[in-house]
Amino acid sequence: MSAPFSFTLPPELAADEPPERRGIARDQVRLLVIDRALGEIEHTRFDRFGEFLKPGDLLVFNSSRTLPASLSGCVERGPCIEIRLAEHLPDGSWLALLVCQRGDPFSCGLRPNLRIELDEGLTAAIHERDERIPRLWRLSFSKSGSDLINAFYRLGRPVRYEYVSAPWGLDYYQTVYAKEPGSAEMPSAGRAFTWKLLFDLKRRGVETAYIVLHTSLSSYLDDALDAQHPASEEEYFVGEQAAEKINSAHARGSRVIAVGTTVVRTLESIADDHRLVHAGHGYTRLHITANHRLKVVEGLLTGLHEPEASHLDLLAAFLPAEKIREAYEEAVRQKYLWHEFGDLNLIL
Amino acid sequence: MNRLQGKFILITGASQGLGRQLAIDFAREGAAAISIIARRGDALKRVSDSIREVAPETRVLSIIADLSKEEEIERVVATTLNEFDGHLDVLINNASSIGPTPLPYLLDYPLEDFRQVIETNLVAPFLLIKKFLPAMIERGGSIVNVTSDAGRVGYPGWGAYGISKFGIEGMSATWAAEVEGSSVRVNWVDPGNMNTEMHRAAEPEEDPSEWADPSEVTEVFIYLASDESKNVTGQRFEAQEENWGQKAAAARNK
Repeated sequence: MSAPFSFTLPPELAADEPPERRGIARDQVRLLVIDRALGEIEHTRFDRFGEFLKPGDLLVFNSSRTLPASLSGCVERGPCIEIRLAEHLPDGSWLALLVCQRGDPFSCGLRPNLRIELDEGLTAAIHERDERIPRLWRLSFSKSGSDLINAFYRLGRPVRYEYVSAPWGLDYYQTVYAKEPGSAEMPSAGRAFTWKLLFDLKRRGVETAYIVLHTSLSSYLDDALDAQHPASEEEYFVGEQAAEKINSAHARGSRVIAVGTTVVRTLESIADDHRLVHAGHGYTRLHITANHRLKVVEGLLTGLHEPEASHLDLLAAFLPAEKIREAYEEAVRQKYLWHEFGDLNLIL
Repeated sequence: MNRLQGKFILITGASQGLGRQLAIDFAREGAAAISIIARRGDALKRVSDSIREVAPETRVLSIIADLSKEEEIERVVATTLNEFDGHLDVLINNASSIGPTPLPYLLDYPLEDFRQVIETNLVAPFLLIKKFLPAMIERGGSIVNVTSDAGRVGYPGWGAYGISKFGIEGMSATWAAEVEGSSVRVNWVDPGNMNTEMHRAAEPEEDPSEWADPSEVTEVFIYLASDESKNVTGQRFEAQEENWGQKAAAARNK
């Protein structure tokens, strides 16, 4: 699978620190607005987001909480490795990227039946490789449930990519409305929201609903594999209240606007052919592309995505590739910032 | 009985004194699940056993944590929300550190101790409210902060503790104002003098038999945790004042 278009991202446009560390508030990042009907582009700031919404519009958020998904451990008399958690599987085991801490990141003799020892008595047994994404291994930890989550928070730190300048604390990787822990990486489209903005939107008559999709990793640290856009499997939950709000919004002719591609993925996975959303829990491998006819979502707030990123495929379901290319070229010219601490893009 | 049926509750400082008693009484009132937080695992285990004795149906989650450390708070929140499927109905910010005993004057107060008391008594409640609010805002919820008359009167020698309680009073009022109009309510309670280990250490020369047992002050907390108080927010309560119930009724009838 190839992206709908490509472009070159100058390295200086990677946001290497959180906005609060650049001297601006969370909600003062820039916002590039694309009008789907007119094809027009507008530049503004995120704290003016409400001006683009109408009373009755429904914003759907992903309230998954970011895990400190990067853990360190060593195989007994063997290599030390970084474990990047990717997905919690139904049987209680985890899929994880195992990165050797010395030499070639993927050649330190890892194989099934080895045991990784972490701190505080936590261990992880290595099982088989994932069939679909072979950089991932299945692991089972020596603790489970809340004991395991407690241990992750004692031992882990947020997954950090090379463009991020410093090991920022986990709070920088949380949305203000985060609840259930489970995401390997922050669902970052919602990062710019503040409670003040959320309350202001409520006063304007904008409605809100929350779903959960626990995000997997966005990169496997393997350019060739990443370029293939393997559709990771991700766990989602949609409650009765959220389903009812979404169906009601459609029934009264209001727009459903997804805050993040994870929300699009969830809602488009769970909707039936009559555009109805039902409460449920499941795992999705849906890969949304230009050929996908959107059933539920009319608008999208999202970050700016890397060249060749699979998220660009998803944007093509909202806009012709040519329009996205124009907008991205404009964003580069205007020096918008990319990645989880960067600026935002609203498509309506 | 059963005034707290189905409620998911978190209590800090739950290993002894008022926090321990609240955990037991809330379970007795039918709480669905209680997350109890304290630094001492052995004491938490005893509280957990006591809860199981009086209310075997109540789920108990024990988390050992030092709330003066910011990263411990994120762990407490995430572990609780993982266990409670993302919901919390009642947050009781009870944990308090008295600081060094015998109580030094501010002039003699070591900075490190001052910071530790403020972190535990004021910063931790701020962070816990901030981080739990998303889990309360959709279904509604009740936040109760424990204060003291040392938060209204400057008693010599009550140093950082008193200052932290002055902070709790102001912070509670500010939170209540900021979330007004949402279904989350914020109130604060002065439990009055209680015969607890912490109080005996703070005032070793006083006669503790004149102080209330923690079991005598929990009624107002049960009221504030329950749906009986669903329209009550931004109020200060004094648990040992005879008229706290009248005040509650007046607030309800506003």
